[in-house]
Amino acid sequence: MLEVRGLRKVYEGRQRQVEAIRNLTFTVDKGELVCLVGPSGCGKTTLLKCVAGLLAPTAGAVWFAGRPVTRPPEGMAVVFQEYGRSLFPWLTVRANVELPLKRRKLRRAERARLVEESLAAVGLADVHHAYPWQLSGGMQQRVAIARAIAYQPQVLLMDEPFAAVDAQTRAELEDLIRELWRKLGVTVLFVTHDIDEAVYLGQRVIILTASPTVVREQLTIDLPVQRDQLHTRALPRFTELRGHVYEQIQMAKQGARVPVATG
Amino acid sequence: MIRLLRRLGYALALPVLLLVVWWITTDDSENFYLPPLRTILRAFAETWTLERFQADVLPSLARFAAGYALAGVVGVTVGLLIGGLRWLRALLEPVLEFFRAIPPPVLVPVIMLFAGIDHTMKVVVIAVGAVWPILLNTVEGVRSVDEVLVDTCRAYQLRRFARLRHVILPAASPQIVTGLRQALSIGIILMVISEMFASSNGLGYTIIEFQRSFAIPEMWSGILLLGLIGFALSVLFRAVENRVLAWYHGLRRAQRSS
Repeated sequence: MLEVRGLRKVYEGRQRQVEAIRNLTFTVDKGELVCLVGPSGCGKTTLLKCVAGLLAPTAGAVWFAGRPVTRPPEGMAVVFQEYGRSLFPWLTVRANVELPLKRRKLRRAERARLVEESLAAVGLADVHHAYPWQLSGGMQQRVAIARAIAYQPQVLLMDEPFAAVDAQTRAELEDLIRELWRKLGVTVLFVTHDIDEAVYLGQRVIILTASPTVVREQLTIDLPVQRDQLHTRALPRFTELRGHVYEQIQMAKQGARVPVATG
Repeated sequence: MIRLLRRLGYALALPVLLLVVWWITTDDSENFYLPPLRTILRAFAETWTLERFQADVLPSLARFAAGYALAGVVGVTVGLLIGGLRWLRALLEPVLEFFRAIPPPVLVPVIMLFAGIDHTMKVVVIAVGAVWPILLNTVEGVRSVDEVLVDTCRAYQLRRFARLRHVILPAASPQIVTGLRQALSIGIILMVISEMFASSNGLGYTIIEFQRSFAIPEMWSGILLLGLIGFALSVLFRAVENRVLAWYHGLRRAQRSS
């Protein structure tokens, strides 16, 4: 479904070049929920923008449904971390969800049904006519998620979507993503710096090194499909996996320190 | 209700005070050029009859409306283009800054040469002067559209026209409104000035005529009327703005309180 091959991204600065991503190769199969986790500042957002077709890679390519991604492809929806800047503040919640559907040739009733179902699916059936800025941060991110699923994407890309909400809201939203993923059968690529979140959510976790980024390890999360905050997080296996990812990321950070010190 | 009265009290206190001061200080004025306010107000009632409104005030306002509307349409359209196309912006920006720096009144004689001395000239003068703040603010508004918003549009495949209409235009609208507000006062100034040059009716023409025929209280009453018209227009503007930008003011309030 999604294939990243030898991806490299170098930012050209005025004086110097910054190599954000050195060489990334991984695939995401149809229907998978994959989490990308890495130390902060490891080029996760850069990677996601390349996958979404918002940023052109320096070398390598992203393939989506058998085609190279050169610009944002049809069938991909993105949920950004900055929900406050990604929702349209002059549109109501409903209109926000509806806007991307307008260019599709849907009948009005069909479009209305999609909007209603999506908002109901994220638990916002009663705020259609509010403006996003009248809602709490967590609810705003729910609107962004509703907009993404109303778009009926094959792949849902999420860029640290819960980094800016409080811990309780975050737990609710994590469960929401698991639930939507299972219900809709959509492929999800979820970027986060939160190790717990990655292990809790993912079927597979791809651990990245610090920038310039490469894949450090791919880890299958063999936790039961049915997960909940209380029990899953208490499982010995969860702790084990979490500890392993933690260790890898610590090592990734230290590994990065050497070239920084000498270079 | 009480809050409304209080606000009204705050709004009216200073104007009333100024009028009282004006009234008292000029009450026994013998100065021919500075008649008592009493005399001016009497002249006001006698001068600005319905007939005169139709003959002088309405033509002025009609020309103002036409010029302002023209400036708005041209300013916003061209501003959207320049703001959206980087190469066009690099090409035009220095020239725009130059034109903006020219005080519009000096263009009146020049425009008279091209557009004659009739309605067209006055409408063109108003438009040429008022277009700059609208144009430059629109460019700035388009330029400062949040990049996450732009990425969102691209990711959801909003095509050029939809993006312009549903995203760029509303996102730039607070800045566009700022430009329109600045253009409002410039437009009124140019409305008056254009009529002082070559005209047979209009507010500016009438005031100059009063001055030339030494009808001093009437001249003052004309200035007072101009002030009132400017005030009424800005109140009207604010009412429209509060409707159009309700989302923006709400957003700002929400951001401040968080």
